[in-house]
Amino acid sequence: MSQNHVVTVENISKTYGDFKAVSDLSFEVYSGEIFAMLGPNGAGKSTTIRMILDILKPDNGRITVLGMPMSDKIKDRIGYLPEERGLYRGVPVLEMMVYLGMLKGMSSADARKRSLAYLEQLELADFAKKKVSELSKGMQQKVQFAVTVLHDPDLIIIDEPFSGLDPVNTLLVKKLLLDFSKRGKAVIMSTHQMPQIEEMAERLLMINRGRNALYGKVDEVRQRYAPHAVRVQGQGDWAALPSVERVEAVEQTRGEVMLYMKASATPDTLLGEIAAAPNVHIRSFELAIPSLNEIFVQVVHDQGGIPAELIKAGGKAHA
Amino acid sequence: MHRIGLIARYEFLSNIRKRSFLVASIGMPIFTVIIFVIIALVAVDSETNVDRFAKVGMVDQSGVIANLAILDGTLAEGERPIEFIAFADANSARAALDASDIGAYFVLEADYYTTGRVVLVSSSGSPEALTDRLNLLLIRNLSTGIDPMLLERILDPTTRNVRDLSTGRLLPPEGIIFLVLTPIIFAAIFMIAGTTTSGYLMSGVVEEKTNRIMEILITAVTPMQLLAGKILGLGLLGLFQLVIWAVLGVVGGVLSQSLSSDVLSGFYIAPDLLALMIIYFLLGYFTLATVMAGIGAVVGSEQESRQFSGIVTLLFVVPFIAFVTFIIDPNGVVPTVLSIIPLTSPTSMIMRASFTIVPPEQLLLSLALLVAFNLLVLWVSARIFRLTLLLVGNPLSARQLLGLFRPRPVHSVLTAPTGEGSATT
Repeated sequence: MSQNHVVTVENISKTYGDFKAVSDLSFEVYSGEIFAMLGPNGAGKSTTIRMILDILKPDNGRITVLGMPMSDKIKDRIGYLPEERGLYRGVPVLEMMVYLGMLKGMSSADARKRSLAYLEQLELADFAKKKVSELSKGMQQKVQFAVTVLHDPDLIIIDEPFSGLDPVNTLLVKKLLLDFSKRGKAVIMSTHQMPQIEEMAERLLMINRGRNALYGKVDEVRQRYAPHAVRVQGQGDWAALPSVERVEAVEQTRGEVMLYMKASATPDTLLGEIAAAPNVHIRSFELAIPSLNEIFVQVVHDQGGIPAELIKAGGKAHA
Repeated sequence: MHRIGLIARYEFLSNIRKRSFLVASIGMPIFTVIIFVIIALVAVDSETNVDRFAKVGMVDQSGVIANLAILDGTLAEGERPIEFIAFADANSARAALDASDIGAYFVLEADYYTTGRVVLVSSSGSPEALTDRLNLLLIRNLSTGIDPMLLERILDPTTRNVRDLSTGRLLPPEGIIFLVLTPIIFAAIFMIAGTTTSGYLMSGVVEEKTNRIMEILITAVTPMQLLAGKILGLGLLGLFQLVIWAVLGVVGGVLSQSLSSDVLSGFYIAPDLLALMIIYFLLGYFTLATVMAGIGAVVGSEQESRQFSGIVTLLFVVPFIAFVTFIIDPNGVVPTVLSIIPLTSPTSMIMRASFTIVPPEQLLLSLALLVAFNLLVLWVSARIFRLTLLLVGNPLSARQLLGLFRPRPVHSVLTAPTGEGSATT
């Protein structure tokens, strides 16, 4: 499918009292892609999502969803799963799903059919008649996910899709989200889980202090932040190599180090030097591409959001 | 409109199955009716049952009774005949009573004609029905030779209806008591039906707010639609509850009617009063429901919401503190003011209308204010709904609440989320 604009955000701003929650933010989301939205707590992600959903109105700027300004018809084509999510607890699962589906414009029969199909797919078919309160937390989250996508929305906005899910259910939901994007639907996911973004998302927007901090394809962003360095495992006197400017130990026991190269050097010349040096042995050699986590911490730090002494620890904590 | 209907249907169906609803609307009245019937059975039976008096002695020292068997064949169906047996003196009658040959005996003293004095000696109570039977026997014996129609008029010379001059209504003679009872019954039904359903409304809102399902709902419907759907659905539930009670009331009435024919014979509600009651009931319910929904949206927990709702409910009953004033001077200052102010007006106006003619301009003013107040509360509640969506689990502060009434966009009253991290993340 060609890249149609599903969401277009142009120069939106939002102020609460003296607090600028979002300022001059612009981005686009295309059909068929998984779009990640990330940023520190309080950066303005939820405010932005609420403005897309028309729960809040921006002070300035313009938002179009599915090619039009927001309307009830458009709202029916959006599926939204907020971060703090809830269900009616005292109601049978199926009945609640049908009700919420009908509120999104589905017919009763349609809502029932699709609810049953999703319950089947999410291995919850036996619980259709059970009350929500009788379900485990993980099961409830799967039901919430099913409710979000029940009406087959063209745009899915999902806040922390994997929080609280065990690895098996994470896989299940991940597969469903990828299926949706393959079918041409747009998925916006707001998350702190960088590995998930690296794995699933094509493009990302990082918001910091209400502003666009990073925006683009995930791969390109990582390339952009790549240091002029390679990461190697092995032994030898790395500093003696002509292309190496400085050495930084990454991991002692495995002998992993980061070799920062001189401006004139390339990874190829360095590899040649390693091969030629008799007392240097390597087990692995790779270009140093930073994790999103490292980039995240770096960007927030550069914009004055993190004290310098935290950055080293934080940057490597859970890459 | 379609979505409002959906919400209304869901609220109706999900609440009607609640155990508390079933208990309140079916269990409790059935229990009351059963208790009532049992008490009635016991009480009525002791007054009407003459089974244990199959034979009753008669010591007639006055000689007024010529024919002891005069009632034979004149009793209505189901009435057990009593065999009156003549005794020469009180001693022989007493001996027969002690030997259980008779259940009781009457002594008509020699000067009965002038004093009307009769002594009943009984070993097992003196039900009214037994006295009625003696009276009948005496009347029949005393009136031999009088034209039966004349006798009928002598016994019951008038058929009355009462014209209540303060309201101009024409009432059956027993209707007066119902005139006083009507506003009390109205208030009781209103309080029970109104508070149960609006209580559901409030706890529903609190639940949706605390479990954040509201945020999902709001991407499908507007706060106004949500509120309207809830009020409609739960209002229908309240009406359904009334229908159940009405049915049970009729059943109970029929039951007690079959026990004692004159319990409900004076039951009467003036049609104009009934119409007024329906109007005020609906408007009053609507006010209560919207206020409760607003409270539910503002407060943080269900427990807290109950305290607030108690205060609101109290306002509806305040007029009853002045019940006596309403009876003595229904057009006085206090009743007039209470019947015009929204919240106290539904119960107050029904009380006044029961006891007097309310000047039409006051009635119109009261209704207009109630409608205006409803719209205001609905508007404020919808704004509170919208505003609370933006706060996660935090109750509104007084400042934010006041901000609702300022002519600014509602979300701009939110303060910066520093420290709370709740308004935005």
